[in-house]
Amino acid sequence: MQPLTTEQVRALIAKGKLKDTLFQALGIIFLAIGVAVIVLLVGDMIIRGSERLTLDFFMNFASRRASQAGILSAWVGSLLVMLVTALAAVPLGVAAGLYLEEYAKRNWVTEIIEINITNLAAVPSIVYGLLSLGIFVYAFGFGQSILTAGLTLALLILPIVIVSTREAIRSIPAMIREGSMAVGATRWQTCRYHIIPYAMPGILTGVIIGLARAIGETAPIITIGALTFIAFLPPVPFTATGAEGATAGLFDWLMSPFTVMPIQIFNWTSRPDPAFEVNAAAAGFVLMVMVLSMNGLAIWLRYRLRKNIKW
Amino acid sequence: MNDSQHLSSQFDEDLSRLRTHVLQMGGLVETQVSGAIDAYTTGEVASVKSIVETDRKVNELEKAIDDDCAHIIAKRQPAASDLRLVLGISKIVTDLERAGDEAKKIAKGVRRIYEAGHMPSQYGVGIRHLAEAALAMVRQALDAFARMDGERALAVIRADNDVDVEFKSIIRQLITHMMEDPRTITTSIEIISIARAIERIGDHAKNISEQVIFVVEGRDIRHNKEAIK
Amino acid sequence: MQIHDQPQLKAEARNFNFFYGEAQALKKINMPIYDKKVTALIGPSGCGKSTYLRSFNRMHDLYPGNRYEGEIRFFPDNTNLLSPEVDPIEVRMRVGMVFQKPNPFPKTIYENVAYGLRVRGENNKRVLDDKVEQALRGAAIWEEVKDRLQDLAPNLSGGQQQRLCIARALATDPELLLFDEPTSALDPIATGAIEELVHELKKRVTILIVTHNMQQAARVSDYTAYMYLGEMVEFGKTDEIFIKPKDKRTEDYITGRMG
Repeated sequence: MQPLTTEQVRALIAKGKLKDTLFQALGIIFLAIGVAVIVLLVGDMIIRGSERLTLDFFMNFASRRASQAGILSAWVGSLLVMLVTALAAVPLGVAAGLYLEEYAKRNWVTEIIEINITNLAAVPSIVYGLLSLGIFVYAFGFGQSILTAGLTLALLILPIVIVSTREAIRSIPAMIREGSMAVGATRWQTCRYHIIPYAMPGILTGVIIGLARAIGETAPIITIGALTFIAFLPPVPFTATGAEGATAGLFDWLMSPFTVMPIQIFNWTSRPDPAFEVNAAAAGFVLMVMVLSMNGLAIWLRYRLRKNIKW
Repeated sequence: MNDSQHLSSQFDEDLSRLRTHVLQMGGLVETQVSGAIDAYTTGEVASVKSIVETDRKVNELEKAIDDDCAHIIAKRQPAASDLRLVLGISKIVTDLERAGDEAKKIAKGVRRIYEAGHMPSQYGVGIRHLAEAALAMVRQALDAFARMDGERALAVIRADNDVDVEFKSIIRQLITHMMEDPRTITTSIEIISIARAIERIGDHAKNISEQVIFVVEGRDIRHNKEAIK
Repeated sequence: MQIHDQPQLKAEARNFNFFYGEAQALKKINMPIYDKKVTALIGPSGCGKSTYLRSFNRMHDLYPGNRYEGEIRFFPDNTNLLSPEVDPIEVRMRVGMVFQKPNPFPKTIYENVAYGLRVRGENNKRVLDDKVEQALRGAAIWEEVKDRLQDLAPNLSGGQQQRLCIARALATDPELLLFDEPTSALDPIATGAIEELVHELKKRVTILIVTHNMQQAARVSDYTAYMYLGEMVEFGKTDEIFIKPKDKRTEDYITGRMG
C-alpha cells in the first residue's frame, strides 16, 4: 500500500471532523428543545402563579375563596409523610440490600427475590395504593392517616433504595472487602467499618431520589383516601388538642388525617373557578422547587461524602 | 543443554553469536598450537611469525567475547543454563587466550633454538608426543563445548593425567641429558620451558572441559578428584 | 542438602487439591514452608500460584463454589488450616496478607493500621498508639508518616500505600505473611524498598510470596517453587533453582523459553 500524502491525510481528517461538527450541532439543538420545554413550563407556572406566591399562601389553610386559600396543611402534610417514608424505607432498604450483596448465598431463591425487586420498581404506583388500602387502612386499622401514607410511599420507594444500596455496595472494590477480611474481620465487622460507610453516599443519593419521586405521587395517596380539604394541622406532640383539654401524645400526629401537595394541586385544578388555577400554578411551582432542591441536596451530599473515599 | 527457543529471538541470536565467537577463537588457538608443534618438528621459523600474529586476533576476540558476556548479563539477566553458559564462556575464553599465549611461547622458544643453530627434534620424540596429546586435548575440549557433551569433556580431564605423567618423564630425561653433557644445558632449558608450555596447554584444555561440564550439568568438578572417576 | 541445616517447618501442604466449582485448579501439591524463611512461588499466569497462596488464609471461603481437598498443616500446633472445623477467621488472625495492588482503606493512616487490633476488640488508646507505631516502624514507613497519622491513607504514594498495607498486616503479629505480587503496581524504587523490607521481615515472620518477576524471586527468597498448570513442578533452594533446576519445565520458564 502506498503511504498517504500529507494532503490526503488532511482531507481524511477534515471528512471525519465534519461529522463531529454535525453531530455536535444536532446534540445542541435537541438539548435546547428539552431545556426550552422545562423553562417554558416553569416560567408559565411562575408567571401565572406569581401573584399568589406570598407568605400568606404558605401560612393559610385551604379555603373556599381562592384568594384566601393557602398550602399550609399540604406542605406540612407532605413533609411529615416524607419523614415517615424515609424512616421506614431507609433501614429496611439498606438492610435488604446489604443482606443480598454481602450475606445471601447465590441460589435460585435469591435470584427470584432479585427479579422481584427489579420488577417492583416498575409496578404502577396506584397498585401500591390498592395494596395499602387493604393492608394498612383496613387490616392494620391505621386509617387514612399520615402513617398509612408514609408506609405506602415507603413501599413504593423501597425497590429504589434497595437497588441503589446494592449498586453502591457493588462499586466498592473487592480488594477492600478482602483487605478487611484478611486481617481477621467478620462479615459484620467488614460491613460496619467499611461497606456501610463507603456505600453511604450512594445510598443517600438513592434515598433522596426515591423521596423526590414519592413527594410528587398522587395516585396511591388518593387511593388510600387522603382528604382534599383540610383546615387543621396534625397535633404537635405534648400540646393541647381540641376542646377536651387533653394533651397530644408523641405519636398522635401519625394517625392524623392529612393532605399533601399534589392532592392540593389536583383539588384546585378540578374546581370550576379559574381563580383556583392560579393557586394550582403557584403550588405546582412550590412542589417543583421542593423536588429540585431535594435532587440538589442529593448531588451535594454525594460530592461531600465521596471526597474522602477513594481507592 | 536446552535447545528450545527463547521467547526473545534476539536473546537466542545473542547467545548463538557468543558460541560461534568462542568456537572461532578456539579454532584460532588450535591452529596456533598445531603451528607451534609443526615449527618444532620442521624448523619452519617463518610460521612462528604467523603464530604471533594470530595471537593478536585471539586477544581481540577475547575482549569482544567478554564484552558480549557483560552485555548479555546486563540486558538479559540470564538464569539457569543460560547463566551457566555465559559464566562458563567467560572463563573458557580466558583459558583459550592463555593456551594461545603458551603456543606463542613455544614458537618463540623454537625460533631461539634454531637461531642458536640447534635442532630441537634431536631431543627425542617425547616432546612431540606430549604436544600431540595436548593438541588432542584442546581439540576434544572445543569439540565438547561445540556439542555440549559432558562425557567428552570428562575424557579430556582424564587425559590430562597422562600428559602430566609424560611431562614429568621428559623433564627427568632432560635433566639426565644435561648432567651427561653440560653443553646442552642452554638448549635443554629452552626445551624444558617448551615442555612446560605444552603441559600448560593441556591444563587449559582441562579447565575448558571443566567449564563445559559446569555449563552442561551444573556441576562444579574443579579440585574434586572424586567427580572425575 | 543435609538434615542438620534443614530449618524448622512452619507449614506444609500435603496432597492439596483445589477446585473452582468443577474445575481443578491445583493438583496434588506437596510442599514445605520453612520457618522464618522467604519462599517464592513462580510460574506463568494462570498456573495457580495465587490460588495456592490464597488458600493459606482461606480467602477462597469468601466466594461460593470453592473446594479444598487435602491438608495444609500449620506448625507448631499441627493445625490443618483447611479443615472445615477450623474457622477461616481464626486462620486469618494468624496468617496476614498483602495484596497485588495496594488496598488501604479510605480512612486515616492510623485507622488503617489499628484496624486489625480493633477487630480483635482492642480499644485502649495507649495500646493502639503503641502497636500502630511498632507496626509502622516494622514496615519502614514510620519516619515518613509519623507527623501525619490522621491523613487519609489513599493520599500516600503507591509505594507508601503498600508499606502501609504491610504495616496493617504486621500490627496483629501474624505468624505467616502472604504477599500476592506485592510490587506489580510499583515503580523500581518502591519495589526495591519493599524487597529490602521483606529481607528485614524474615527475622520475625515466615513469608510466602507470589511474584511474576523472576529476578525478584531470586533476590528475596530462600526457597523457590515453580508451578505450572496447577502442579508444583519443582521446589528447592533458590540458589539451586536459578543455577541448576532439575526439571526441564522449570529451566524453560526461568530462562525465558517457550514451553
